[in-house]
Amino acid sequence: MYLPKWLHQFGAPKYFYDLSLCISRWAGIICIICFICGLYGGLVLAPADYQQGDSFRIMYIHVPSAWMSLFVYMVMAIAGGIGLIWRIKLAEIVARSSAPIGASFTFLALVTGSIWGKPMWGTWWVWDARLTSELILLFLYLGYIALQSAFEDRRVAARAGAILALVGIVNIPIIHYSVEWWSTLHQGPTITKLDKPSIHLSMLIPLLFMVFAFKTFYISTLLIRVRSEILEYECNTSWVKQLLGINNGIK
Amino acid sequence: MSEYINIFFIILRRDLMLAFRNKAEFVNPLMFFIIVIVLFPLAFGSDSALLKQLTSGIIWVTALLATTLSLETIFRSDFEDGSIEQFTLSRYPLTLLVSAKILAHWITFGLPLIAISLFTGFILSLPNQTIVALCITLALGTPVLSLIGAITVALTIGLRGGMLLSLLILPLTMPVLIFSMLAIQNATIGQPISAEIYFLAGILVLAMTLAPIATAAALRIRLS
Amino acid sequence: MSQFKVIQLECIRRDNILFQGLNFSLEDGGLLQIDGVNGSGKSSLLQMCSGLIQVSEGEITWNGENIIDCRYQFQSDISYFGHSNGVKAGLTAIENMIVMHALAGNSSRINYSAILEQIGLTGMEDVLSSRMSAGQKRRLGLARLFMSKAKLWLLDEPFNALDKQGKAVIERVIVQHCSAGGIVIFATHQTMEIDGYPLQHIHLGNEQ
Repeated sequence: MYLPKWLHQFGAPKYFYDLSLCISRWAGIICIICFICGLYGGLVLAPADYQQGDSFRIMYIHVPSAWMSLFVYMVMAIAGGIGLIWRIKLAEIVARSSAPIGASFTFLALVTGSIWGKPMWGTWWVWDARLTSELILLFLYLGYIALQSAFEDRRVAARAGAILALVGIVNIPIIHYSVEWWSTLHQGPTITKLDKPSIHLSMLIPLLFMVFAFKTFYISTLLIRVRSEILEYECNTSWVKQLLGINNGIK
Repeated sequence: MSEYINIFFIILRRDLMLAFRNKAEFVNPLMFFIIVIVLFPLAFGSDSALLKQLTSGIIWVTALLATTLSLETIFRSDFEDGSIEQFTLSRYPLTLLVSAKILAHWITFGLPLIAISLFTGFILSLPNQTIVALCITLALGTPVLSLIGAITVALTIGLRGGMLLSLLILPLTMPVLIFSMLAIQNATIGQPISAEIYFLAGILVLAMTLAPIATAAALRIRLS
Repeated sequence: MSQFKVIQLECIRRDNILFQGLNFSLEDGGLLQIDGVNGSGKSSLLQMCSGLIQVSEGEITWNGENIIDCRYQFQSDISYFGHSNGVKAGLTAIENMIVMHALAGNSSRINYSAILEQIGLTGMEDVLSSRMSAGQKRRLGLARLFMSKAKLWLLDEPFNALDKQGKAVIERVIVQHCSAGGIVIFATHQTMEIDGYPLQHIHLGNEQ
């Protein structure tokens, strides 16, 4: 299990702490730009849908957050696995810090899905396959967070969480197929018209902007969380003490 | 190789012996299972048509909850008296020892649960094909519950917050519930159920392969 | 010739540094006592030596190989005895010993009654260990030392709950094992009454 040296250097908390500030800022700036472009394009420039009217515009929040909810879970599981195998602290921290962000994306996807559903289906909640999978995904996130908070030792918590996340990632495709199968048998194809919307370019481009904005938002907030976790993890090391000492001196 | 088979059976025998000496540990969850099943007719009235429709679902959901309760004890005493430490540091793979423990749990809990469900099905005069489907899905599903449960128990053992275990197990076991119920519903209306059964069998094989490894890794982490 | 080596070991528990830069090395016949006040990291050190706790800084080697890299080889060479006895309350003395014997990977036939006699539990073969006193359970747990073929013994407070006579028995076994070329590391704050065998010492704690 050999890792190249530059990766170890990149994974060193101190090095990453210094580097991440810059990345976080730039990601934040790109996020704001994409967000403004995407929202303007989506809410103003894009034409109303001939079937759904203006209500489809919630898609610009719903779709990116649903994508991110899965993406973040994958990041969490992969980072957890890396931390488990190569014992890289940074990977553990990334996994731990991702969980609340991912849970928020999942929650956002659920809420916007439900709001979108109201004009479409006439009720707030329908046992649609995607919404149900998303709900189970939220449970997986909450379980992970609950497990994290039950441990006193951060490193043990991170490794236990990594196992849970890996079990979850094996389970997610199974959950997805089982729910899909279940809902088609129960409901018939009433909602599949949302499934493959042949999307017009003027609607697609703002969506891509929004997806990019969500990605950079994730990177930016993740790094902020990672930075503060690094300080907690490394509170015994001289560089953290020095850093905090200098800051106190200036104040 | 024979050495490994030997240790597997020694641990299996040890756990079965312990279970029969401390019967409450596996009998109480089974009692819980029976009582909850009895609660439903009391709640919904004795309208037998409605009950017949619901019974297999009730049995499955209750089995899920009862498994969660019964799993809590699978590693607890071993963790407290240092047996897990000895297992971990023995010359045999922890995965193997853990598999023996999980099998012992399924024998003392899963098997009686299937028998009780079969009996309940007869008492409530469910159609034959429903009972058959119920038993097949339970036979394939309860080992998966034990296997997935073992991972989460290993992760949560000795932690504060008693409900944590159910929070972790239940979402992970939802696919098993879904496929089982689909099979039972298909069987009731006379449709073929092989697709769902294959899926359940596939999940079982996957769980048998991966869950002991994950459980062993989780136990190692918990000991550190 | 076997060699157990600890190099620049550091131990951090709950964000506190318990010890740093710890070095020692033991070869065949080595006997090492670790002492120190409560919370000085005795148990953690033994757990690290056994591989139960991950080493964050430093290295532990067995015959020149990191113990994590040769886990199964290492584990078949050690016998670890921790705070808890590893004795199942629901099993009788004999049944407990059968499991211990199997876990030790020792395939030779063993006279269980003779071992019980040696540890002062004569005639208790079929007594459930839940009926035993704390000291008797401890003795039963220590019975695994009589059944192991392991070279390296790691004993955490082996004399806890033992009376004078029990302690003497264990001391004798330890010396026997070392004389036969074994290695023993044990943690205790009791004084050892071992005459005529060289005993190394490591003291953990602030006074160092």
